[in-house]
Amino acid sequence: MKLEILNEIIQKKSSSQNFALLTNLTNGNSEIFEFGKFLSNDFESYKKQIENYHSLKKNGVIDGTQIFIQNFTKPIEVIIVGAVHIAQYLVDLFKNLNFVITIVDPRKFFITAERFPDVKIINDWPEEIFKKLETDSNNALITLTHDPKIDDPALKHALKNKFFYIGALGSKKTHTKRCQRLKESGFTQEEIASIHGPIGIKLGGKSGPEIALSIVSQLVLESNKLLLNSKK
Amino acid sequence: MEKQIKRTILEQARDWFESDRKVILARVIQTWGSSPCPVGSDMIVNDKGEFFGSVSGGCVESNVIEECLDLLKNNNSFKQLEFKVSDDNAWNVGLACGGEIKIYIEKINS
Repeated sequence: MKLEILNEIIQKKSSSQNFALLTNLTNGNSEIFEFGKFLSNDFESYKKQIENYHSLKKNGVIDGTQIFIQNFTKPIEVIIVGAVHIAQYLVDLFKNLNFVITIVDPRKFFITAERFPDVKIINDWPEEIFKKLETDSNNALITLTHDPKIDDPALKHALKNKFFYIGALGSKKTHTKRCQRLKESGFTQEEIASIHGPIGIKLGGKSGPEIALSIVSQLVLESNKLLLNSKK
Repeated sequence: MEKQIKRTILEQARDWFESDRKVILARVIQTWGSSPCPVGSDMIVNDKGEFFGSVSGGCVESNVIEECLDLLKNNNSFKQLEFKVSDDNAWNVGLACGGEIKIYIEKINS
């Protein structure tokens, strides 16, 4: 493989684009594929099959060919509302997983670069932030403040924009009240039920790192379900 | 060390290349039965025999490294490797899990 292709992959990965690496196993030639891109002779005649594999995020040797396709897909973007101590453990746990993290909190004493080095932090109200951020079903939301005036606008935005995972920290009692508020704001029962609350899978732990682990586990579980469904 | 762990395999490959190491990229291209690493899993090897990443969870890495070094020695640019169920005589090159994998190795060149 040529160094320029390696560099192109590194660059595209860091800018979170969807693309694939194609390799002709008979002559060793490689090329980057993106929808709409012109392909060289090595690959052009297989374009339909390549596009098909790429849409399904399927890696492998394309049936009946000697073309290997490896897909690089945009990582899931997780927005964490609340720069609290559980968020610090979350950042640690997410580090080796393929997620991009953004932490938001309107409270300036919580959201500092010292507490959160190496991740994107935004010091503002979720309502304001979501006006500027581009979000879709590739996003996940974790709310940690259990303060309605901070969490609720984020939850509403995530529901409206069909985030694939929405989780809210807080006791059963807190969550019941939260559901009631969302109902009064016009969200359907089904939409409200899609929120994971209380957040996380049951690990039985109460400490910050354990709660963070239960949240990360749930998010990974849901993202893998999503991937499986897309391949069916 | 910590910095190394955070680097992606491809970034590490580029760094090696830029510090004048010869670099081989190995990728899992096909699997049958139970194999620990999915298609697309990758590993890099340099001319000093150092490696980073994984293609089988430890079962065939040593053999892949040897194949990569041979590729360099013979001045070839790519090769396909196949590994099947292990037998007692070849414990170090087989897959204990009973799966089969095909690995594609290729040299990074300028």
